[in-house]
Amino acid sequence: MKYENIDELLDALDLKDGMCVSFHHHLRNGDAILNVVMKKLHEHGLKRLHLMASALFPVHAPILPLIEEGTIETITTNYMNGPIAEHISARGLKGTLTMQTHGGRARSIAEGERVIDVAFIAAPAVDENMNASGVQGKSACGSLGYAIEDSLYAKRKVLVSDHVSPSLKDPQIDGRTIDDLLVVESLGDAAGIVSGTLKITQDPLGLKIAREALRLLKALDVFQEGVSFQSGAGGISLAITKGFTETLKARNLKASFFSGGITKYHVDALEEDLVDRLYDVQCFDAAAIDSLRKNEKHFAISASDYANPNNPDRVIKDLDVVILGASEIDTDFNVNVTTDSYGTIIGGSGGHADTAEDSKLSVIVSPLLKARTPLIRERVRTITTPGEHIDCLITERGIAINPKRSDLLEKLKDANLPLLTIEELMQKAHAFTGKPKPSAAGEKIGIVESRHGATLDNLYKKGD
Amino acid sequence: MARSYLFIPGNVPRMLQNADVFEADALIIDLEDAIAAYEKEEARTLTAEFLRAHRPESVEVYVRINAEDPLFTEDLLSMAPLGIDGVVLPKTTLASLESYRNSLEKHNLDVPVIGLIETPDAFFELLEIARFPSLKGLLLGAEDLSATTGMKRRPGGEELLYCRSRLMLAAKAAGIRAIDTPWTSLDEEALALDIDVANRLGFDGKCAIHPNQVPAINDAFFPSEKELKEARRILKRHEETNSMRFSLDGKMIDKPVVQKAKALLQKAETYRQKGGKP
Repeated sequence: MKYENIDELLDALDLKDGMCVSFHHHLRNGDAILNVVMKKLHEHGLKRLHLMASALFPVHAPILPLIEEGTIETITTNYMNGPIAEHISARGLKGTLTMQTHGGRARSIAEGERVIDVAFIAAPAVDENMNASGVQGKSACGSLGYAIEDSLYAKRKVLVSDHVSPSLKDPQIDGRTIDDLLVVESLGDAAGIVSGTLKITQDPLGLKIAREALRLLKALDVFQEGVSFQSGAGGISLAITKGFTETLKARNLKASFFSGGITKYHVDALEEDLVDRLYDVQCFDAAAIDSLRKNEKHFAISASDYANPNNPDRVIKDLDVVILGASEIDTDFNVNVTTDSYGTIIGGSGGHADTAEDSKLSVIVSPLLKARTPLIRERVRTITTPGEHIDCLITERGIAINPKRSDLLEKLKDANLPLLTIEELMQKAHAFTGKPKPSAAGEKIGIVESRHGATLDNLYKKGD
Repeated sequence: MARSYLFIPGNVPRMLQNADVFEADALIIDLEDAIAAYEKEEARTLTAEFLRAHRPESVEVYVRINAEDPLFTEDLLSMAPLGIDGVVLPKTTLASLESYRNSLEKHNLDVPVIGLIETPDAFFELLEIARFPSLKGLLLGAEDLSATTGMKRRPGGEELLYCRSRLMLAAKAAGIRAIDTPWTSLDEEALALDIDVANRLGFDGKCAIHPNQVPAINDAFFPSEKELKEARRILKRHEETNSMRFSLDGKMIDKPVVQKAKALLQKAETYRQKGGKP
């Protein structure tokens, strides 16, 4: 059913207190839809809602009053930063906060562990048959990968769009699975949806870490015909991606695939025929969106096809190398990208824990000192990714290999690399910062859920 | 021996803290041009504390001091006890070196010096400067020289060819280091060209004014595979013949060539220990 008035739509839905509503985060910090829908649900008098958004950004700050007064009781998400994250870190929720992984979210929806009552799916372009695509329209965001499971398994699926065409080429969402379409004037702020050209770091420490990462990958003989690779959109990751493709070119090699969030640097490699295909669960910049629109070797994939641990065809099970960041890492190689050292939520797993577990080689890259705090702790404040899935840590002052990867240590025994134990690296940091005291923690506010559904760690209010 | 000499301002804690991770073979901590007059004291204190607590290992450390009193003496007295490898003396001339020597003698100090050659006068007494006792190297300061002479720097540096050649020859004649001027923009292509010119002219190393310039300098001054292969062949033949004079591929090899080959391999090994080529 097609609607042009949100109140009419909501009146037609079977809305109940305590129900679960979902959103995706492909509109990133330009998203207007989550705020509009949640405000309307509040106006319709709903209470104790479970908000299941794949991520929450600073742009979603207007829903804070709904969290405080109880319209939103429970939140399940994969990532959050900004005012909502700060508020929950300090004051908690009336219900529970669950931090999932991208693959874990897809798994939990597909397996019925999480039941979405209504999925509100922002769609940059739809056609009259309610097929949807992310690559057209004024709010184009590229891949709609994180919305696919919602579109398949929610009890009621509502597309929200500001661009209706007679037909769509290569839709990402099949209109036969959709119940309703709400046409709005705008999905949000295009400048917040799409980043400009992402910049490679110019920070000397970041560049040094990137160089060391490439040296490590070379020493481990990673550069082989058909290698697969994933890295993020941070400045260091981009420098590594660029160096990775330059090395492929210099050695006349071609990678099989790059996966995950896609940027101009991945696209450049595809266009130079240095990689066979891109598996794109999220476009990070305009170049990626443009490439997804026109390049037949650039595939939009769902979160389940990306990282659902129970999907035997998931892309990352064939991933050779993943480059990841860290807010903290401990001497057991557990990584925290969910909170800072004092308990404020600053992010979340996203695909961190998924790719670390599935890839053959997981590499953490990070400066050893972050302002005045050391990266390495005896125990991380929050475990996002278990240490058993982390293989290497690269900092500007040395490289630590997880002792459990004796095969890597054996390969590197004659390499001219600055290898240290993680404890030695920690001591180097402490030489500048001193040994930090454990931060105080308040009452429990939620959990970190592993991609398989188990509780990996608890989240506590930040201490005074 | 050092390939890269990285200038680090003496009043920026983050730069000092990370000085040893920038991969420069040598650091020049700057107490002169980079520091405003009212910050001299704090910079001196910060630099001294840094060198006491965190002096980088395997990196040569120099301090560019002020050339004129009272800052000259204050800098010298505060830095000399800190185990530095030397000072860089701005606007070096024979006269300023005499003053420097007198100060050392007066305070019973022994600190090697790198002469920063950046005035027209210095070029007319360059060989005497190069042969001055305690002088460890000549460093070309093209920015101040350009300001004084009206010289306009361009990528490739043909305007500097005479100065570079003269400085390099004087340094080699005196058996000290020839260190090239920094390139002051972050334009990678122009930097590469500037490094290449210095390298081909025979300079031993080059200054960097940003840490991101260091890897390109280190790479360029690392002996090439062709050079290393040739050096290994010369030494192999030297060992086979047990002689300092032999023929290889129809060319006569004598003692200086053998010594040069040894030095080259030693240099490559030293640089490899520092992290080698990326």
